[in-house]
Amino acid sequence: MIDHDQANILMVDDQPGKLVSYEAILGPLGENLIKARSAREALDHLLHHDVAVVLMDVSMPEIDGFELADMMRQHPRFQKTAIIFISAVHLTDLDRIKGYQSGAVDYISVPVVPELLRAKVSVFSELHRKTRQLQRLNLDLEKRVEERTEQLRKSEEQLQERVAELEAIMQVLPVGVAVLQDREGRVITANAALTNLLGAMPGEALSTDVNAIKSASFEIYEKGRRLENENNPLLQSARTGQQLGSLELEIRRPHGDPAYLLASASPLFDHTGKVRGSVGAFIDVTGRKHLEDLLRERAELLELATEAIMVRDLNGVLRYWNAGAEALYGWRREEIIGKSIHSILQTRFPMGFLTVQAELARTGSWSGNLTQFTREGHEIVVACRKALKAGGDAILEINRDITGQLRAEDALRKTERLAAMGRVAGIIAHEINNPLEAITNTFYLLRDHPSLDEEARYYAQLGEEELRRVAHITRQTLGFYRESKRPVEVSISALLDEILELQTRRMEFKNIVLDKRYRSSGSVHGFPVELKQVFLNLIGNAVQAMPDGGRLHLHVFETSRRTSQGAGVCISICDTGTGIDAEHAKHLFEPFFTTKATKGTGLGLWISKGIIQKYGGSIRFRSVSLAGGKITCFQVFLPNTDLEKLEISGIVPSEEVRVPTAAGVSNGL
Amino acid sequence: MASEGITILCVDDEQVPRTLRKLVLQKQGYNVVTAASGKEALALLDEGGITLVLSDQLMPGMSGTELTKIIKADWPATPVILLSGVNEMPEGATCADRFVSKVEGPEILFQAVAEVLQEHGYIFEKNT
Repeated sequence: MIDHDQANILMVDDQPGKLVSYEAILGPLGENLIKARSAREALDHLLHHDVAVVLMDVSMPEIDGFELADMMRQHPRFQKTAIIFISAVHLTDLDRIKGYQSGAVDYISVPVVPELLRAKVSVFSELHRKTRQLQRLNLDLEKRVEERTEQLRKSEEQLQERVAELEAIMQVLPVGVAVLQDREGRVITANAALTNLLGAMPGEALSTDVNAIKSASFEIYEKGRRLENENNPLLQSARTGQQLGSLELEIRRPHGDPAYLLASASPLFDHTGKVRGSVGAFIDVTGRKHLEDLLRERAELLELATEAIMVRDLNGVLRYWNAGAEALYGWRREEIIGKSIHSILQTRFPMGFLTVQAELARTGSWSGNLTQFTREGHEIVVACRKALKAGGDAILEINRDITGQLRAEDALRKTERLAAMGRVAGIIAHEINNPLEAITNTFYLLRDHPSLDEEARYYAQLGEEELRRVAHITRQTLGFYRESKRPVEVSISALLDEILELQTRRMEFKNIVLDKRYRSSGSVHGFPVELKQVFLNLIGNAVQAMPDGGRLHLHVFETSRRTSQGAGVCISICDTGTGIDAEHAKHLFEPFFTTKATKGTGLGLWISKGIIQKYGGSIRFRSVSLAGGKITCFQVFLPNTDLEKLEISGIVPSEEVRVPTAAGVSNGL
Repeated sequence: MASEGITILCVDDEQVPRTLRKLVLQKQGYNVVTAASGKEALALLDEGGITLVLSDQLMPGMSGTELTKIIKADWPATPVILLSGVNEMPEGATCADRFVSKVEGPEILFQAVAEVLQEHGYIFEKNT
């Protein structure tokens, strides 16, 4: 049965016959049998094979069995190799001891009992095999231990590397990180970012321990209130075992401005699940906070501006709308943000919109006047400045209302023009009035001249009449002056007739029917020229309002003391003309307000109102739409005047300018 | 005529208007003497017999206003009417008894003359 490793059995005998007999005896063991004829040969085999048992003859020539055994024992490799001596000679006890001392294991005496020999060899072979197995096992074990140790060493190294990496990460992180190693806050490890944030020196104790805290150079505040140490997020988290969200903290440092942190903390647990400390992260939001403050400040500033300030994208969709814009346009920001301002404000550009866009794209800005509409529908003119936002995704716009300013400038221009006209008129008046007087006097002399026949007298009369018109024109258009220093009794109806006489041709030409109802002669005390000015204005306006014909109603009646107005004369002038828009109505008596574009000065009603007010009277109007058309009525009321009072206000300083310039009129009225 | 015995001194540097004004006033029945300047007018006033002075305002040399001031100082009883082609009442024109525009025509002028004379105590019938 050979189901195991073959053990090497070295048989040493100088007699080949014996070797053959041993071979025969041991053959059935199935081991590997090696034969040696001498000790020298045996040693040679020993060196080349792992021998389990040496079966040696004691008495051999040259080197005997004992000598061979001695040599073997001296070699460390063979000290434990089993030796079985076969001896026929030395059988004394001494010999045996000697044999044992030299490391032999057993003796077999001659004659050899084959079973015995076989049994002994078998035991030793087995022993050797077991020993070898043990050795192999041992070796294997050692190897495994070594491998395991290597593995452990490697993982230890890796761990060290990880720790070093984490340490490095922690130190380079821009976020402040702190680790609380105990629950009492005695040992706190912080990274560079955190010590920097806290304004502490590198290596400075961050410990919150009562004994160490004295040296802490910073203070923590939350919502303006000092945060006690035991309440700092790290300790709080360690104490409660709870995770803490974003807390805004203010750090007051010994030097420099306070820093603002966003802090969060998370507890650390040991293997038993008990809280052993905590870890916290601190983000510096100082810059953001400053930016927020700055933005808030700027936003408030924008709200203070009286100009309309807006931000919109390139399609005109509104993103920002300040209080000034709300005030100017009447649109509240929640109504208008997200909408297109061009359509809402009905913006009209002074040039093509594409030109504006092109200039904006090319130079980054544009300025000019825009015409827009407010929510109420008023047309306004704004001085606009646009700038393309850096990045080019939006347009910043500031609009200032210059409607009033333009109107004032316009009025000033008109005033200046009128003043110039007045000066020219004065010169012309003088140049015309002198010969006019001479001609008028000539016609007066011709009147009823005895040398004239009927026909010539008629011609002279025509000439005189037309001359009167010329005189009237120079009086009315070149200016007016007060012929009398004292108020006189003026009949309003006579005055109206005088005016109508001048308008007759125009009215006939325009198909205007006159409806005259004088219930009174309308006698008042005053200055005829002034009063004429008023009614010439009102009648002139009425006639102008009816370019396609209509009816002109003139009513004069007296009011009694019992009416709300009191005693006086009422004159109403009504036309069926184009009417007065509600929009225009409130501006009607303003200076330089005119609906006649280039025709009127815009001063007529203003002057008229001034004159009437001087008389203590009033002027009112109504414009109503009826099925048949529109009716506009002006009603003038002149009270029965206190003569003395009128006289005082009527005596005017000599420097009074009579040409209807704005300055002159305002002085005079 | 009611205006007989009343002599008006008509002052104007321009001859034609001066003459026509004189004729018109004469037609109304007044005695009229004329002067071409303020200086001439003052010489005539010195001679006496002038009831009322009717002077143009704008004249070379002495203006109507200046003449009026002298008359008001030396002949306070003699009324003065100033006549002008300008529509503005010149500075100082209030020292005259009346200021009348030339464009108002002869009737207004007569009315002014009559009123001023009445104010100065000359009684005469109103001639229309």
